Amino acid sequence: MRWILLAAIAALGLIGCANLERSRDLANPNVRPEVTAAQVCSNCHGLDGNSVSPIFPRLAGQQESYIVAQLENFRSHQRSDPAGYEYMWGISRSLTDAQIKGLAEYFGRQTAGKNAAVAGGSLDAGRKIFEQGVPEKETAPCMACHGANAEGLGAFPRLAGQHQDYLVKQLHVFQETEGRPGTPMKQITHLLTNEDMVNVAAYLQAFPGQ
Amino acid sequence: MRKLIVLGWRRLSSNWAAIVPGLAIVAGLLPIDASALPLFARQTGQNCLSCHAGGQFPELTAYGRKFKLTGYTMGERATIPLAVMGVASASKVASTAGSTDVGADFPHDGQFEFTTASLLCCGKITDNIGSFIQWTWDRFDHQNDAGKWVSKSHIDQVDLRYADRSIAPTHDLIFGASLNNNPGVADVWNTHNSAFTPVPTYVPVGNPAGNAGGPFVDVPAAPTDQSLGQHSAGLTGYLFWNDFLYAEVGGYRSTEKPFTVLGDTRVSGFDSFQRLKGINPYWRLALNHDWGANSAMIGIHGMSAETYLDSADTGSPTAKFRDIGIDGQYQYILDPHVLTAMFSYTHEKQSYNDALWNLSNANFTGTFANSSNTLDYLRAKVTYIYQAKYGVSLAHTSIRGSADAVLYGNPTAVPDSRLWAPEIFWTPVQNVRVGLQYFMWDKYLGAKSNYDGNGRNAKDNNTLFVYLWAAY
Repeated sequence: MRWILLAAIAALGLIGCANLERSRDLANPNVRPEVTAAQVCSNCHGLDGNSVSPIFPRLAGQQESYIVAQLENFRSHQRSDPAGYEYMWGISRSLTDAQIKGLAEYFGRQTAGKNAAVAGGSLDAGRKIFEQGVPEKETAPCMACHGANAEGLGAFPRLAGQHQDYLVKQLHVFQETEGRPGTPMKQITHLLTNEDMVNVAAYLQAFPGQ
Repeated sequence: MRKLIVLGWRRLSSNWAAIVPGLAIVAGLLPIDASALPLFARQTGQNCLSCHAGGQFPELTAYGRKFKLTGYTMGERATIPLAVMGVASASKVASTAGSTDVGADFPHDGQFEFTTASLLCCGKITDNIGSFIQWTWDRFDHQNDAGKWVSKSHIDQVDLRYADRSIAPTHDLIFGASLNNNPGVADVWNTHNSAFTPVPTYVPVGNPAGNAGGPFVDVPAAPTDQSLGQHSAGLTGYLFWNDFLYAEVGGYRSTEKPFTVLGDTRVSGFDSFQRLKGINPYWRLALNHDWGANSAMIGIHGMSAETYLDSADTGSPTAKFRDIGIDGQYQYILDPHVLTAMFSYTHEKQSYNDALWNLSNANFTGTFANSSNTLDYLRAKVTYIYQAKYGVSLAHTSIRGSADAVLYGNPTAVPDSRLWAPEIFWTPVQNVRVGLQYFMWDKYLGAKSNYDGNGRNAKDNNTLFVYLWAAY
């Protein structure tokens, strides 16, 4: 009986050793980014990048340069918003530059899905902020950098269809903390009220024609 | 089914001599550094609350469930795959009325003591194999003949897994097998078998009744499928399909060779009806749905077990236990709020070998009055946590059983008991928790008042319980 058990354990050990195509190892440079995206990232962000919980931003159709910058900033601890360091510092800590680029490409080519109806916030007020900004609060129109369809451009992220709750929290991070340095967003948000943030975030989550 | 614990009267003492190693650490702690976290956190580099709902242990988030289901293999294998945790606590019973020897009946009552510590291993082993293995030291395990407390260290929860996952746009299938020593420990919703305490407060502390005190913070009976922890060795296979359907099935046997290492003591040292005969099936089905910040599960579970009257004698007569139950969980998790609720209801039918109850049987043992009995066991808990720091919880446990004057040697002949346990707790940093619980009995052993025939009331067993838990 003992020998059967030892043999079983040895067999399991052999089976368990190398499984690059289905690996959840985050410190192995030989794991393809598509595998990491499927086995690990999908747990929070969804296999197609359309995450269910607002804790986790949608990544489907996101600008590749933006994803690369975020993963690098998590890895270097430059980005330290609470949800960011709680979840993403660990995930990104041993990723290689090639893996980061591959993950950005993977999610970048996914199709962004519609997001469910928003709770709270005025879509009209939100659209006004998106298209015209809030000049009296020195806030430029979001579309000036994020695109007329909120699809993003280069380092400026796609916002269309993003979770309202996530956007509001990130706007507060920009406004109130140094958790996401190196962007114009601190200046953009510095006089916005919470109500402004909720309104524009609601408009972005439900962005028409996305 | 556990043999009814004879009520232990505990000494009432006003000595609060405190051994509080944890408090000094709390005061000096800096914001958490990812390298200073317990084992799984070291492996993933993530904050505890990414897997544990609101920072509660062991209660899992949807992500935490995936971590466990994929065999604890996410992340990097830790260089030193160990973690430790410890608990200091005090419990104080409401009344010692009726005790003729308070010192013996209520040991450690009102005393804050360091009671238990655990060593945990190993997390990720390979890309498909991982484990949760816990070894525990209980400072006040039992008293020797001279009345001195003796400590004991023993194996605790063991879950050694093989897991794999096939995921594509068309499907997501996680599947694996678990070698473990506790039916239900492999489950990922922590509902029908809480690996840490029979009272569903799901706090990361050992039941003080098992260490320093009597049974007052515990119900006097529980279904067999929840009483086999570290007295059984099992292999279960499971799958989780499309984030929706969970199924687990397997069998448990006793911990004779070659599974002795999974038992917390020699098989012959188990209590009555804790040594399994043959292979005993366990099964579990659950439906899961996640939407927005919500997650919900409804499930059923069951086990069929046969155990010996005398764990040292496989010639002794056996009893059969058929457990079937329903359980469920709801979680709302979106910073700064976490709201979770869970329940588990199990119905048990016990049927006994003729010799155990039948006076006419030549080998009559006088263990039961009836040829069969039933036990109904309900646990429920709701918890709200703000900022993963400030929490409030309310738990409920009730049991109801058929009357059997021999099995339950109390005047009402039933084990019926009902417990409410409100709790407030504080998690100043993610690996330290301080809490206050109050266990309130509105029925104990079948009655609200005078349940023992000597004037002791259910509420005399009310117990205030304060604990400090820390892990590294």
